[in-house]
Amino acid sequence: MATNSFHNSAQKRLLAMGGVFVLWTLAVVFRLVNLQIFQYRDYSDREAKQHDRYIPLAAKRGTIYDRLGHELAASVMVESAFIVPGEAPDLASAVSLVTGITGDDPHVALANCQSGKTFCWVARKADAETIQRIRNLNLRGIHFQREPKRYYPQKELAAQLLGYVGDDQGLSGIERLYEEQLQGQPGAMVISVDARKHWYNRTETEGEPGSNIVLTIDEYIQYVAERELERAIQETHAIAGTVIVMNPRTGEVLALANWPTFNPNRRKAITNEGLKNRAVSDIYEPGSTFKVVTVAAALEEKVTKPDEIFDCQMGKIVIDKVTIHDHKPFGLMPVSDIIAHSSDVGAIKIAMRLGDQRFYKYIRLFGFGQPTGVELPAETRGMTKPVERWSHMSLAAIAMGQEIGVSPIQLAAMMSSIANDGVWLPPHVVAGTVEPKNSPQQIMFHPSEGRRVLSPVTAAQMRQMLQGVVLHGTAPKAILEGYSSAGKTGTAQKLDPATGTYSKTKYVGSFAGFAPVNNPALTVAVILDSAQGLHQGGQVAAPVFQRIMQQVLEYQHVAHDVEISPDRKLLLARRNAKTGDVAEDSPDHLGATLVAAETPDHVSSAVARTPVIATKMQPAANHWQEKEEEVRPLGEPTVPLTAPATKLAGTVVFDQESVEVPSLVGKSLRAALEISSAGGFDLEPMGTVGVVKEQAPPAGSRAPAGSRVVVRLGK
Amino acid sequence: MPKRVSFDRWLFITTLLLIFIGLVMIFSASAVMAKERFGSPYGFLLRQLVGAAIGLALMALTMHIDYKRWKSPAAVFSLMGVTTLLLISVFFLDRAHHTHRWFRFGPISFQPSELAKPAIILFLAYFLATRVKTMTDARNTLLPAVAPTLMFVCLIVFQPDLGTALACLGITACVLFIAGAPLQYFGFSFVFSLLPLYFLIWKFPYRMARITAFMHPDRDRLGAAFHINQSLIAVATGGMGGKGLMEGKQKLFYLPEPHTDFIFAVIAEEFGLLGSMLVVALFAIFLWRGARVVFRTQDPFGRYLAAGITSMIALQAFINVSVVLGMMPTKGIPLPLVSYGGSSLVVTLASIGVLLNISRQTE
Repeated sequence: MATNSFHNSAQKRLLAMGGVFVLWTLAVVFRLVNLQIFQYRDYSDREAKQHDRYIPLAAKRGTIYDRLGHELAASVMVESAFIVPGEAPDLASAVSLVTGITGDDPHVALANCQSGKTFCWVARKADAETIQRIRNLNLRGIHFQREPKRYYPQKELAAQLLGYVGDDQGLSGIERLYEEQLQGQPGAMVISVDARKHWYNRTETEGEPGSNIVLTIDEYIQYVAERELERAIQETHAIAGTVIVMNPRTGEVLALANWPTFNPNRRKAITNEGLKNRAVSDIYEPGSTFKVVTVAAALEEKVTKPDEIFDCQMGKIVIDKVTIHDHKPFGLMPVSDIIAHSSDVGAIKIAMRLGDQRFYKYIRLFGFGQPTGVELPAETRGMTKPVERWSHMSLAAIAMGQEIGVSPIQLAAMMSSIANDGVWLPPHVVAGTVEPKNSPQQIMFHPSEGRRVLSPVTAAQMRQMLQGVVLHGTAPKAILEGYSSAGKTGTAQKLDPATGTYSKTKYVGSFAGFAPVNNPALTVAVILDSAQGLHQGGQVAAPVFQRIMQQVLEYQHVAHDVEISPDRKLLLARRNAKTGDVAEDSPDHLGATLVAAETPDHVSSAVARTPVIATKMQPAANHWQEKEEEVRPLGEPTVPLTAPATKLAGTVVFDQESVEVPSLVGKSLRAALEISSAGGFDLEPMGTVGVVKEQAPPAGSRAPAGSRVVVRLGK
Repeated sequence: MPKRVSFDRWLFITTLLLIFIGLVMIFSASAVMAKERFGSPYGFLLRQLVGAAIGLALMALTMHIDYKRWKSPAAVFSLMGVTTLLLISVFFLDRAHHTHRWFRFGPISFQPSELAKPAIILFLAYFLATRVKTMTDARNTLLPAVAPTLMFVCLIVFQPDLGTALACLGITACVLFIAGAPLQYFGFSFVFSLLPLYFLIWKFPYRMARITAFMHPDRDRLGAAFHINQSLIAVATGGMGGKGLMEGKQKLFYLPEPHTDFIFAVIAEEFGLLGSMLVVALFAIFLWRGARVVFRTQDPFGRYLAAGITSMIALQAFINVSVVLGMMPTKGIPLPLVSYGGSSLVVTLASIGVLLNISRQTE
């Protein structure tokens, strides 16, 4: 054909063009593979970023229980409302309608919504009525989401200790310190929006609920401590106060009360003063209570004996050209009276025998100058000058409790170590954490390793001398009914920050002590700041100690160790007969100790509504029965004990779904086995002969089904 | 006489598959938008179905009309005349949105620029078939051949529709190249086209922005480069197997024109690498079978006609895919047979009918 050459070139051109398209196809394929396989992840992230709005949703916060499983802080599910501004036809009017119901500032809310663009909260964790009213508006673009809200059923009870929660975060107290355990794994709400900011999808991932926390606090003891503290505040017009109740044998804090206080349910009304957990974060000069350290150290170092006579120089001593006066002139006195009557001169002379170094060693051994490690935030270590920086005056000043700053919890721990045969134990408020499962769990509180400060003999001598303070010293108001008690008063002049000198009008009155003397079950420390009128520790703080100690010992069924006079018994019986109608301000404090009297309004009514029944109680103390035998009750118990006291100290029985433990005491091993297996318990007998002498957990308490009941058999 | 053979089944089946894919994807991509605009998610789908029905009917017609019957001045110049008339009158009839692209008669709308492509192809094939021996003659062959294209391009550019205009130029270049125009003229025309291109791009900020967005896709992701970035997100998040039909998220107003110019992005998002490769493969098969028709047709008119129709579809397809993949600046060229658009579908299908008829007369 004539067009052969033409055809050849045309074919070449066709091939060339085909080649171009082949290359183009390859380029497209490479690009596709690169994008869809190798850049998939990058672009997926970008896609998620523009489509999905993650709104973190707090998981259900763990519950805080007291040692008996009462809820002190719990989370309930409430609803929040939010706006998707892109969906609201008229954002401004929608926002103003909602704020009209919630009472928020409409301008602030509107500004929030416009800057947020795809999502904004308008009513966070509102009450059911508010939500219903917002729902009734039936506005487009308003949606609802369930969120957990923190609720404190006992209101002010243990407020500083528990702390409170902001939007989703613990801001003080246990809530803050245990934030990580309590908060759990937060969930999220994912809102997917199109390019016009309309949402087209919403998914929720539920968080993992947080762990529950069990405190060593006993709700009832806490309530008693707060009630008595408030009463003292009202009577003395003190500006602040602290009460700590501890089990000296284990270091468990049973109550920790502060004044002023706050209601964590009403966040807006919380003040800084109310928030302050004075028990751990306040530093104050202990005054005479610190003489306990001085004398204990001297006894332990054997530089003196309880009956050694000191010349108190008629209340005058000159140290480094400074004259120190006693509050009244004392002459010749044994060491025990120096404590009982709180002679500064005597304490100084004893301290001088010790010398700086040895004295300082004991100050540190008793835990001063370092945090006790109690599970609470913002604990102070106090103010303890290192011995190298002591002046000539320091030894004398510190001997009587000046020139040193301590916290109430340090004071309580020091007093507990005297009660605990000389072993200093770190105080604890947390017994343990419990996973948020529905299965029953039992937790045991294990006391920390202690530190021996005093020999048991010195500790016993100290206890005797401190009993003298109550019996014939500065604190007659700390005498209990049916129990021996011991302690030390303190009255420290407040350092006036304005002048740098000691105030003549402001005092910190304190009393720290324990009872019963020979087998202490409780330590109570009371500190009242700036009481007006009467201000001495023995006058203002000792009565608070007395009232709390009396009630809590009875509540814990601690056996009486002091005979109650017959007319007292009669009085008591009469009081018991008409439980509840004892006048609050009865001059006789006995009444108040035996009945849970009228509840002051501010303290939770829940306590009053459900009086803690004896059978549900778990004695926290009352151990070392071997010793107790020696000082067996002098009088018969005034209240029949429903449960025998257990020797296994420091058991916190925490019940989430639990059964009542049957009473096994007095039963034979065979009978005990039958009863316990019928009740779904495992029996762990100690010993094989005789009948059950004691059991743990005690009868009437609650324990998880299938858990172990330990019994000790004896003849 | 070329022997009568059956039409190319590959071309036929590929065409039907692409239309089917298009219908499914138009529904997926436009359901949300259609619900908003027409109150029914099927709004765009139904319109496209009408277009497909008309187009397929026309295709059935043209594939049975001997293509040589188009080789008459009456057919060529009446098509040219009608196109010219429509392109001019569209300036006066349609003033919506400052663009002049559509005729609207009630529910039916028609885009005359779509007609320009087959008009150019038919003219070129007719004209060049008479100048086979003088292909190097610039004054008597090349300039007259290009003149109508330039006229159409001018009219289309001022609609304004730069994408279609460039497509027309590309088709013309392809046909001329196959017809054997000397290579240097391609170089000359490229250099001469730079000046008008400069004005058409640099002087219109939105076109300039598209170029910069193409050059620097990461610079202004929420502004000029928004569309191309959204397209890339759609494609890349399809991954290997895609998110599944209807499951794409980018069509929710992130992608511009998800049912027309960016339908390939929706395909890539919902069917992943496998789905997008299938579509690319179908167009490659179409190109291969189209080229095979060109290769096997001895008759110059048939060759050029086949070359024009094949390059019209292949060029648009590859440019569209390249734009979606960020390999070219945004232009506004639909994916033939797949994208929503009745005019384009009808014209394309009628052209394919002609191509199929040519394929029956190959050696």
